[in-house]
Amino acid sequence: MKRRPRLLTMVATYAALIVLVCVVLYPVLLVCKKAFEPGRTLSTSISPVPATFTGQHFVDLFTSSSRGELTFLRHTLNSVVAALATTVVGVVLSCTAAYALSRFRFPGRKLGLTTFLVVQMFPATLLLLPLYVVLDRLGLLNSLVGLVLVYSTTAIPFCVWTLKGYFDTLPRELEEAARIDGASQWMVFRRIILPLARPGLSVTALFSFMTAWNEFIMASTFMTDESKYTLPVLIQSSVGRFTQDWGFFAAGAVVTSIPVMIAFYVLQKYLVGGLTAGAVKG
Amino acid sequence: MIDLGRQMRDFVVVAILAILIATCAFVVVRNTELTSHQIALADRAIDTIHDSRAPSAHAVVVGPATASRKHPFLRKRQVFDRGIWRPLTDKQLYDMATRYERQGEIAELTADGRGLVVRCIDQPGLPSSRSCTSIAIAITEPAKPAPYPFLVLIGVLGLGAAIAAAGALIGRAGRAGMFAAIAVLAVPTMLWHAWIAASAILLLGGAVALAQRVALTDRIAAALVKNRTALSFLAPAAIAMFVLVATPFFIGIVLGFYDHHAGRWSFVGLSNFTEILSGSGRALDDPLNFWFILGVTVLWTIANVALHVTIGVSLALALSRKWIFGRGIFRMLFILPWAIPNYITALMWKGMFDEQYGAMNLMLHKAGFSGASWFHHWATSFGANVATNTWLGFPFMMVVALGALETIPKELYEAADVDGASAWQRFRHITLPHLRPALGPAVALGSIWTFNMFNVIYLVSAGKPNNSTNILVTDAYRWAFERNESYGMAAAYGTIIFLILLLWTVFGTRIVRSKEDA
Repeated sequence: MKRRPRLLTMVATYAALIVLVCVVLYPVLLVCKKAFEPGRTLSTSISPVPATFTGQHFVDLFTSSSRGELTFLRHTLNSVVAALATTVVGVVLSCTAAYALSRFRFPGRKLGLTTFLVVQMFPATLLLLPLYVVLDRLGLLNSLVGLVLVYSTTAIPFCVWTLKGYFDTLPRELEEAARIDGASQWMVFRRIILPLARPGLSVTALFSFMTAWNEFIMASTFMTDESKYTLPVLIQSSVGRFTQDWGFFAAGAVVTSIPVMIAFYVLQKYLVGGLTAGAVKG
Repeated sequence: MIDLGRQMRDFVVVAILAILIATCAFVVVRNTELTSHQIALADRAIDTIHDSRAPSAHAVVVGPATASRKHPFLRKRQVFDRGIWRPLTDKQLYDMATRYERQGEIAELTADGRGLVVRCIDQPGLPSSRSCTSIAIAITEPAKPAPYPFLVLIGVLGLGAAIAAAGALIGRAGRAGMFAAIAVLAVPTMLWHAWIAASAILLLGGAVALAQRVALTDRIAAALVKNRTALSFLAPAAIAMFVLVATPFFIGIVLGFYDHHAGRWSFVGLSNFTEILSGSGRALDDPLNFWFILGVTVLWTIANVALHVTIGVSLALALSRKWIFGRGIFRMLFILPWAIPNYITALMWKGMFDEQYGAMNLMLHKAGFSGASWFHHWATSFGANVATNTWLGFPFMMVVALGALETIPKELYEAADVDGASAWQRFRHITLPHLRPALGPAVALGSIWTFNMFNVIYLVSAGKPNNSTNILVTDAYRWAFERNESYGMAAAYGTIIFLILLLWTVFGTRIVRSKEDA
């Protein structure tokens, strides 16, 4: 019973789609091209394929060093440590709260849910200045500990909401049975819920890792000492006010984005669900 | 009649709060006193700089920075220390001098907790090797701060507990006893002249006495006991949120009432807010006028969200046609911009709009036009930002719309076909009503994200030309970190942005939602 679309409609739709695909791909291809093309300035041709190939930018990226230390590896390590620590703090601190919000009814529950939602929606940049002043007082500028604290301000509400959404989907029968057999609430959570929620926990953890890994402005404000830079700050500074090395930028962009892009493609179906579920229910 | 157990329970809870307030007051008072004492020492040291025997502080005169003869890119300074000029090697002194030249007088406690005070003032009349002005810098010896008054507080606590207990035992005097007991805790703060803390503690005492009158403390205690499992599960995240989000948030609001200059905070009341909201006496088209920036921000948000929704929904409609070949591949390619970290997208587009080698201008040249200086004019600069943000933002709307389209039952379209509905009618009466419930929240969320899309503005146009393409969040950032550390202004900006967002989430989302109910 499918109606055959008119030929004109088909041609027009395909043409529009293909043009848009080109618009989407072109800037990305330009960066990939620059990564393999010699020279520090931007390319002088508009072709998305480099005229001459070189792997020099990648070699430069991995061997760049200052004071006898491989800087790119140093910055990668900073990024990994900050993102991992943020993830651990976020997931550990929020999993019990998410469970409480999902299963218990208590006065103030609504308020709690709204607070977590609002904090997650509102940008962390609003807290940037007070956090800067406080961390400055505590001597935590230029320290990964400080950065992890800053990232936790967004990671915790995010984890609470996504995990709560996941716990909501788990059946309650098992818990009820365990409760009847005399297990305490904590036992139920640790022995039944946490093992069951492993997929939800890993997705949440990966998302908070990605968020911290991709964060730029906080890191750039709080980490002014070059050895403390995270990858986004390093990449931005390579085409910043003082140096313009687009080859380095392109190679760095390719290397840092590929892992998160793969993770994103694997996880994207969960992301949309989580974001809109929170917004609909709140 | 209030029995002893309840009285003690209430007293302990309130006493903990009171001690916290008193401790904060103590630290603030101690640091202020310490700083002013050390600054006086530093000033004395600067006055006696020629004596070459600085008694309590190390004071030197630092000359202006000059280019090094051997390495022209290096700058160096001379320092006049204990009667002789020599090259400056101390990094702290060099940094202080540079900061002084940027922002003027410095008098502050260093942040490392060693009790050092740095003092920089102008020193024109000193023996200088150059004719330029030199700067006097004094760094005091670390001072020992006054110890925390444990004994005082323990004594006050004991006395308060005794009064509270006595009040409960006498009968009828329980609430008066509670207030008196808390008032005792306020005595040390009064001795430190910390009037704000003292009145806060007194108010706390009054509030508790009143709460006891209506048995509120009993009810709160009962609710806590009843929900203790839920609350203990909630506690880790709640405490973390209180420390990491609520505290800085309130500090931010308070900072908005202060002015920050050369490391010193001074209370200025509402003047930051009035200055911002009155446009600082600038013309309405001045890029630093708040209303101009707000206008740019609103325009930016509307333009982007409209483009995101239009492009996203059109693509979703196209991709939901079953006869399109390779729908999965198209979908994958179209969400590519969402997968790329947005700071990289922003820098990538900054490169595209480069005046000399940017792909945009290269293409314009190929097509026979002369290239544009994108960031020299407001319209093109703003357009470059919008193009970047549209590119990175439409996939979200597309994915949301695709998800909503999948939930529409096919029967509806079949029924519409039977009834002879036109394509427009099908879209208007079937597709659109099904898209709304999903798109409403997505638009609300997207508008908040766009309103605060820091990275694109900061990295692509960077406010060029002449700050005119800044949005509220980037302008607030510039007040804090690029305009003489005007932290007070930046904090006031933050509060105003927060209020705007709050209004929008309360009323704006209601508008979006009421439409979806209709």
